[in-house]
Amino acid sequence: MKNHLKTLRAERGWSQTELAERLQVSRQTVNAIENERYDPSLPLAFRIARTFGLPIEDIFEAP
Amino acid sequence: MMKCFSPIPRRYLIELGAAMLVYALVLCLSIFLLKTGYFDGPSATLVALLPTLPCIAACWAVLRQFRRLDELQMRVQLEALGFAFAGTALLSFSYGFLEGVGWRPLSMFTVWPVMAVLWVVGGVIAARRYR
Repeated sequence: MKNHLKTLRAERGWSQTELAERLQVSRQTVNAIENERYDPSLPLAFRIARTFGLPIEDIFEAP
Repeated sequence: MMKCFSPIPRRYLIELGAAMLVYALVLCLSIFLLKTGYFDGPSATLVALLPTLPCIAACWAVLRQFRRLDELQMRVQLEALGFAFAGTALLSFSYGFLEGVGWRPLSMFTVWPVMAVLWVVGGVIAARRYR
């Protein structure tokens, strides 16, 4: 699934480690989602949306 | 402070390390007691099984670590364990068939190290898929 996680993270000046701590996941998980190697679960997608203060559909695009 | 999901958390290392330390001590004690010759029959069986008690603590530490993993780490571990489970079945059954035609019988102690190696290999393969 396409997503804008890397761009949004860069806009806020967060490192992958910082975002991982905010989401309570590993840095590898953030990296896998950014590289579109892994699609997060719905609860994690909602946590990501809440962390960025955006609706889910502004972060993730349907394939 | 935020919860950190490092690959091998300190808490896990402490819990598993403590369990393995107790295991090593109990194993030495068990071997020593068996060598004294005081134990025979059912009592020798019980003394020989003493090291399994700290192994239960090690299992508990591993399960606690699994519950601390995030969803991707959990998936990687699932794939790694699936690989190890299937691979161990394949190898152990294959060798069992070979024992039937005269190959040297192997100790049960060989099974888990094989599974552990396959677990590591499976983990590396699975982790690479999500890199």
